[in-house]
Amino acid sequence: MTILEVNNLKKVYTTRFGGSPVQALANVSFSVEEGEYAAIMGESGSGKTTLLNILASLDKPTSGEVLLKGKGLSTIKEKEISAFRRENLGFVFQDFNLLDTFSLQDNIFLPLVLSGKSYEEMSRRLEPIARKLGIGDILAKYPYEVSGGQKQRCAVARALITKPQLILADEPTGSLDSQAAEGLLRLFKEINQEGQTLLMVTHSVKAASHAQRVLFIKDGEVFHQLYKAGMSDEAMYQKISDTLTTMATGGGRHE
Amino acid sequence: MSRFFYPKLAATNLKKNAQTYLPYILTCIGTVMMYYIMVFLSENEGLGKMAGGSQVQMILNLGCYVIAIFSAIFLFYTHSFLIKRRKKEFGLFNILGMEKKHIARVLAFETLYVAGISLGVGLLGGILLSKLIFMVLLKILNFEVPLGFDVSGPALAAVLFLFAGIFLLTLLNTLRQIHLAKPVELLMGGQTGEKEPKTKWPLVVIGTLSLGGGYYISLTTQSPLDALTQFFFAVLLVMVGTYCLFTAGSIAVLKLLRRNKGYYYQTRHFTTVAGMMYRMKQNAVGLANICIMATAVLVMVSTTVSLYIGLEDVLRTRYPQNIMISTPMPAQQSVEGLQTSVKEVLAKHRLEEKDRLDYRYAALVGNQEGDTVITDMSNISNASSSVREFYLIPLEDYNRLAKRTASLGDDEILIYSSGSKYEEDTLTVLNRTFTVKERLDSFFENSPNRVSISGSYYVVVKDMDVVKAMEEARAKENRDDPSGYRYYLGFDLEADEADISAVYQDIRTALRSDYPSSWIESPVEAKESFFAIYGGLFFLGIFLGALFIMATVLIIYYKQVSEGYDDKARFEIMQKVGMSREEVRGSIRSQVLTVFFLPLVTAGIHIAFAFPIITKLLAVLNLTNVGLFAWCTAGTILVFALFYAVVYGLTAKVYYRIVSWGTSG
Repeated sequence: MTILEVNNLKKVYTTRFGGSPVQALANVSFSVEEGEYAAIMGESGSGKTTLLNILASLDKPTSGEVLLKGKGLSTIKEKEISAFRRENLGFVFQDFNLLDTFSLQDNIFLPLVLSGKSYEEMSRRLEPIARKLGIGDILAKYPYEVSGGQKQRCAVARALITKPQLILADEPTGSLDSQAAEGLLRLFKEINQEGQTLLMVTHSVKAASHAQRVLFIKDGEVFHQLYKAGMSDEAMYQKISDTLTTMATGGGRHE
Repeated sequence: MSRFFYPKLAATNLKKNAQTYLPYILTCIGTVMMYYIMVFLSENEGLGKMAGGSQVQMILNLGCYVIAIFSAIFLFYTHSFLIKRRKKEFGLFNILGMEKKHIARVLAFETLYVAGISLGVGLLGGILLSKLIFMVLLKILNFEVPLGFDVSGPALAAVLFLFAGIFLLTLLNTLRQIHLAKPVELLMGGQTGEKEPKTKWPLVVIGTLSLGGGYYISLTTQSPLDALTQFFFAVLLVMVGTYCLFTAGSIAVLKLLRRNKGYYYQTRHFTTVAGMMYRMKQNAVGLANICIMATAVLVMVSTTVSLYIGLEDVLRTRYPQNIMISTPMPAQQSVEGLQTSVKEVLAKHRLEEKDRLDYRYAALVGNQEGDTVITDMSNISNASSSVREFYLIPLEDYNRLAKRTASLGDDEILIYSSGSKYEEDTLTVLNRTFTVKERLDSFFENSPNRVSISGSYYVVVKDMDVVKAMEEARAKENRDDPSGYRYYLGFDLEADEADISAVYQDIRTALRSDYPSSWIESPVEAKESFFAIYGGLFFLGIFLGALFIMATVLIIYYKQVSEGYDDKARFEIMQKVGMSREEVRGSIRSQVLTVFFLPLVTAGIHIAFAFPIITKLLAVLNLTNVGLFAWCTAGTILVFALFYAVVYGLTAKVYYRIVSWGTSG
């Protein structure tokens, strides 16, 4: 079943002081199936972040539509969009986006508190997640007291705790050392194997090689896509590298 | 490198940081202006020559010191805030290859510009405004307004000296900070990880105790004399309490709230409690400052305004009658002789006395301990709250004035208390014990000393023999000469001030030879000096009030700016995690509102608790019209609150502009 469907997405920025408009997304279409683990790759300035912001309903496209489980994001009223985002989407960011005014546990609880869940239910939901992510003993600490890897695992916990339809990850390994990055990618794979749909934006070949499918974006369009389909991580890594080289040297569109 | 590089860079820096520097420069200009005007007035020769002018200048002189000290502390404080925000910039310069001495040079130029603009504009404004303020002051003081316009050299010198010093100090302090810091530290600037604040229970306890102590003193102090000595102690306690409770108390309360899971994990409370904790840690001291300054403004303005408005009341309280004569009665003179002299003067002016009040009396001062009064002067401490004045009056005079036919035995008395109540059944004074036959609940409306800072009693005794015997006993105990008895004569006149003044002068002359120790008082004579003192205080109150308000505005503004930058990141994260813009906005708005109105509300509470003790203090200054003071206080609070709200509203705009910059795209 298709969870996410993106049709002919276009985004043009006009700058504040009336400079020439910048086209971030030209024409993007793709879809993500339930239980899939997809990665979007592209160089800086290729429109990755714009795409993610639109998927996250933080930004609105100039034209085109985004359907989450068949429901158009643009049809949701402004008032409901936050609740919708909270209940259906989970986020993992490069810079963690943990609030330093809250302990890690309270950071993880934040979306649930906003939905008005009771403390008992929140603790019940947190318990298995904390065990799986190995963060049980640092929950009382504050973001500035723990390492980057631990912060990112808490951010994952925050994304998981709402049992979202789709987790969006924006450069999740970007601020992590190689060991912590490796751990996080393994974690994503596990989560995915338990049935969680994941969409990750990255320009790390290593990170992308863990995904089942990789979409390449160039100049605001989907340039190419690769399916892993039983390939090993290493083989996938090689294939992604090749594609990137081709893209960088200005090769034509692959089929 | 071009010779103009540093001056140019300094100018660019100031322009780039206009958002924070402009208010700072405006404040500098404001303080320069105020200080110049204050020094100008206190040095002004014309003012000094006017009647009562020297008293006014004494008050204004005090104002000069207050403004000088305040400006120094305040400008220093705000400047360090500015620099804190700019550390990143300095770090960048450093990394781009500027040495610290180059940065120092840029900073020196910046300071030079700021000082130049502040002093130039400030002095110009001060000189222009000084004439206007001078006229306002004279109007307040009821003085004639002379023509002419002058610039005061000493005032100019004082301003230049003071502010050059302040600017130099701020520059040196900044250089010290830059010199000590490493480039990386500078780059990291204001964003070192914020630790969660610890609950400091000792501070909470100290704060609660001292605040409670201050309030307790205000509520329980009965005698105006005590009020005088206790007031500053109470103020100190409340200040300590305010600082402790704002810093530690707020955190403790928020932590308790957080511990209550049912309360904390609710949508409405969750972000607020955590956000407030962070905010209070950052802002507690600044908010306590605002609170104390607001309280100071409110107290100063409300008291000086009510004293000034109530001046007629004050005069009436201090001088119940138009002409008041009190004299020791030498043995060779008689009451009738004095009365005749006064009558002759009145006849000359074709005036009749009205509401005449006259009686013979002897005065005693002593420490009251239960039903015993210790009159031995060597044992009396003047500052003690148990000091009482006793006026012994013969029954004959009392009966005549009160139109009664009361009778008394040798050791019986009638007593009337003014100030503190006399609760005992007997009164022992100078080894003689009297029985209280009757407690009078009213006495002669216009008797002098009705309001006195210590309590006073009017004691009616059997006859003049008792009065004289008591006076002799007092003289013997204190080893001085008995002065016999005294005589008081007071009356009103239906005449204008000039006539009353003439009568006053004539009576004074008439009595000089026969009654050399007599004193004569009239509100007409005192009016000028009362206007000078209370008008001077009023002026100073308003002037300093304006200065404090300016400071409050600046602190609020800077708080809003720094809050804005801090909240920007949080605002974005919360949206990403699933709060709508409106929810975030609402949550942040309620927090910011709480943070900014907390000092105002606290100041209001302080004022409410200070009210009793301030009314006592005003009684010392002869203002007994509590209603007037209540109205003035309420009015001042209202005006201040309105002003505060407007300032808040204006600065909140800056805040929202910072917070929503970039998220609107």
